[in-house]
Amino acid sequence: MHGPDVTWYVVLAAVLFVIGALGVLVRRSPLIILLSVEIMLNGSNLALIAFARHVGREDGQIFAIAVMAIAASEVVVGLGLIVAMGRRNVELDVDKLRTLRG
Amino acid sequence: MRLIDAAAWVCLLAPLSACAAITLGGERLTRRACGVISSATTVVAFAAAVAAFARMLAEPGGRRAHTTSSWTWLQAGKYHFGLTLLTDQLSVMMMLIVAGVGSLIVAYSVGYMDGEDEERRYFAYMSLFVFSMLLLVQSGNLLLLLAGWGMVGLSSYLLIGFYQQRPEAIAAAKKAFVMNAFGDATMALALFLLIEHTGRLDFASVFSHAPRHGTLATLIALGLLGGAVAKSAQIPLHTWLPDAMEGPTPVSALIHAATMVTAGVYLIVRTHPLFENARAVEDLAAGLGAATLLMAGLIALVQVDIKRVIAYSTMSQIGYMFVGAGIGAYPSAMFHLMTHAFFKALLFLSAGIVIHALGGEQDVRRMGGLGRALPFTRAVFAVGTLALVGVPPFAGFFSKDSIIAATLTRGAFGDCLFAVCLAGAFLTGLYSLRLYLLVFGGAQSEFAAEHLHRPAGRLEAAPSMIWTVAVLAVGATVAGFLQFAEVWHPLTTWLAPVAAPLSEATNRQEAVASVASVGLGLAGMSVAYALYGGAQPRRLPRPLALLVQGFYWDQLYAAIFYRPAELAAQGLARFVEAPLIAGSIGELSRGFRLGSGELGRVQNGLVRSYVLAIASGVAVLAVVFLSTR
Amino acid sequence: MANFLVWCVWVGAAFCCLASALAVVSFSNPFFSALALIGNLASLAVLYLLLGGEFVAAAQVLVYGGAVMVMFLFVIAYLGDKTDQAPWASGPSWQAAATVLAAAAILTEIIVAVALSTGGGLAHSRPISGSFGSPASIGRLFLTDHLIAFEVTSIVLLVAAVGGVVLGSHARSLEGDARS
Repeated sequence: MHGPDVTWYVVLAAVLFVIGALGVLVRRSPLIILLSVEIMLNGSNLALIAFARHVGREDGQIFAIAVMAIAASEVVVGLGLIVAMGRRNVELDVDKLRTLRG
Repeated sequence: MRLIDAAAWVCLLAPLSACAAITLGGERLTRRACGVISSATTVVAFAAAVAAFARMLAEPGGRRAHTTSSWTWLQAGKYHFGLTLLTDQLSVMMMLIVAGVGSLIVAYSVGYMDGEDEERRYFAYMSLFVFSMLLLVQSGNLLLLLAGWGMVGLSSYLLIGFYQQRPEAIAAAKKAFVMNAFGDATMALALFLLIEHTGRLDFASVFSHAPRHGTLATLIALGLLGGAVAKSAQIPLHTWLPDAMEGPTPVSALIHAATMVTAGVYLIVRTHPLFENARAVEDLAAGLGAATLLMAGLIALVQVDIKRVIAYSTMSQIGYMFVGAGIGAYPSAMFHLMTHAFFKALLFLSAGIVIHALGGEQDVRRMGGLGRALPFTRAVFAVGTLALVGVPPFAGFFSKDSIIAATLTRGAFGDCLFAVCLAGAFLTGLYSLRLYLLVFGGAQSEFAAEHLHRPAGRLEAAPSMIWTVAVLAVGATVAGFLQFAEVWHPLTTWLAPVAAPLSEATNRQEAVASVASVGLGLAGMSVAYALYGGAQPRRLPRPLALLVQGFYWDQLYAAIFYRPAELAAQGLARFVEAPLIAGSIGELSRGFRLGSGELGRVQNGLVRSYVLAIASGVAVLAVVFLSTR
Repeated sequence: MANFLVWCVWVGAAFCCLASALAVVSFSNPFFSALALIGNLASLAVLYLLLGGEFVAAAQVLVYGGAVMVMFLFVIAYLGDKTDQAPWASGPSWQAAATVLAAAAILTEIIVAVALSTGGGLAHSRPISGSFGSPASIGRLFLTDHLIAFEVTSIVLLVAAVGGVVLGSHARSLEGDARS
């Protein structure tokens, strides 16, 4: 195979995943958090496709397509929530949304 | 089934059926009906006992013991105990006494307790007691005897505490029960030792297989003696008897004079082979009896409650019986038991008439001169007093003197007992006549003048009270003629196969004993007459505090047993219960609350912290997965 | 030569990918974050192509870039001012430290896992045919081996659509309450 072998792709996917996780943990705006979740999902997609190439079967790619579909649905619901919050003039700050506390 | 066995069962079960009927009948039966049921069944029991006795008379002497069993009560491995009734010379004698005197007293109660609120309960308990006492004397093995022993203790507790509203009565009932429980425990230990050694508890096997001498024999006899001492209110377990006078007067007559307190004597006579295996314990029994008879006689001199005087007198007379049983004069002891039942019950029941006439007053200092108002009662009380002191021809003379004479046959120890018994005779004369004179003699006291009331009609009390007392008076007069020294001794002959006396007094010893005891008794009476007789009360020295307080036995027991227990309970309550037990629960809940409060702070509602927790968890799990590959 | 070219493409795509990911996480304006994410998606598509997943790359651009990101931009434009509040995290400093620690730990562990467990086994991939990753083979797999996944995914999409409609209608009734 030409170019870098699968190891490089997997490491890149891991770094992407961690960057996405950091974004979820340190940002307060729910929109940015959703975007960071997308980054994490993309990272795992990359790992899946890399392994599919390594094994020589397309099952990983199928998995990745399903993940994409699920990510799309999740974005629909998440954005719907954010729009609803915006309409009710709720502050878009995750730290302020604390009603579900113990 | 043979007649004797059937009679034994009828005698035993009749009072039990009365108790059951009254208990189950409840308010459907009238109060009078309960009394009638109770006394009728006791009379039936007496009739059955008479039938058994009559049938036994027809049989030759050696073959008079009959046993009848119904079912196996306890079977454990190689141990086998049945519900066995033994009808032999000794038990039929006790059956006659218990059922006879019992039926008279229960009939008396019909008149005495008339109008009481809880009359039905009273008669149920009385029938229960009669059943228990009969079970005790009819049992064919020691286990059943222990069962009857415990049940008479229970009945005594129930009847002493009959007036439930009085705290003194409840306290007295508890005291009696606890002291009796102590005796029950020692008896049970003796039975354990017997089972261990012989594997059986029926009388015949136990007597033949028990150890003949040594520590084991002593321990067994000691355990039995403990039970006897507790039940018969001898030193040191005697303090419950004066307090037991809180019960109604017929209860005092039946349980604490005629029958239950004599169960100790019966036990010693019945198990005399076991006692003869341990001579030291026999001597101990006689010594305790002697000490008690002296102490009780002294205390009776200064008591002011009419029933307490008679109670201490009972204690003293049972001391005589213990002396007799301890020196091996079993027929004499049983003879005295029988006559004592008559005249002591007589004294109690006539005291009951006096108490009723004065509306419940029992303090002798408020009585006086009642003889004119209650002539019949005065007459029968006089009969009882003379019988108690032992003046011929009344019953006490014959029975007490046979015991005193027997002490002369036992060497030096017997001579000491002889002296003590004579001193006791003097004291008996003194306190008996004192009581009679204080109640019936002299001028009528102001209290009596105000409060005396007799029922309408010629009789001094209810009819049932009068005729029963009359019968007892007749018994107290003639019962003594059953035995007189070696001249005429059918009772000894009758009991010989079961309880042969260890030694018999000679005619000369009998004469000496009789003269001495009668003389001293009369001397005591004359001293009493000098002090208390005459129209005007004389100035008497103040009674000794030692005597009034009963030689401080109660205070001693309170200091030894009650006070430490009380202190221990208070200490435990303060240092263990509150901080440790109750406090630990409080501490536990507080700890939980604090802990859950701290834990609750994790749920702060911030999504970010939750995600951080998840991420950290993932990191840790990854390490785990990697390391366990 | 071909190897060198592939390496160049790879480095470029990887660089864009990481840079745009960092940009998404660090820009304060969500609009710019969304644009950066589009860049991220594009570079990822290039990487998929390098791995032989043609269909997946196309789907990535069409679905993610064309639909999802458009939705994002829509919402950001709609919300406008309301999205500009307090972008960065606050809270106790120990949380920030713990966050960095957890992230670093996960990264390290993945790298270690990849390095250790495979032991160089990832270096040699299996040879593939020319039709690897073609729409035909993906389609065949979807309709044979992974049929259930296919169908379930469609149901999930349906549910999400319904959820979106419901959330939208809620907003309308709430707006009615706010006005009255």
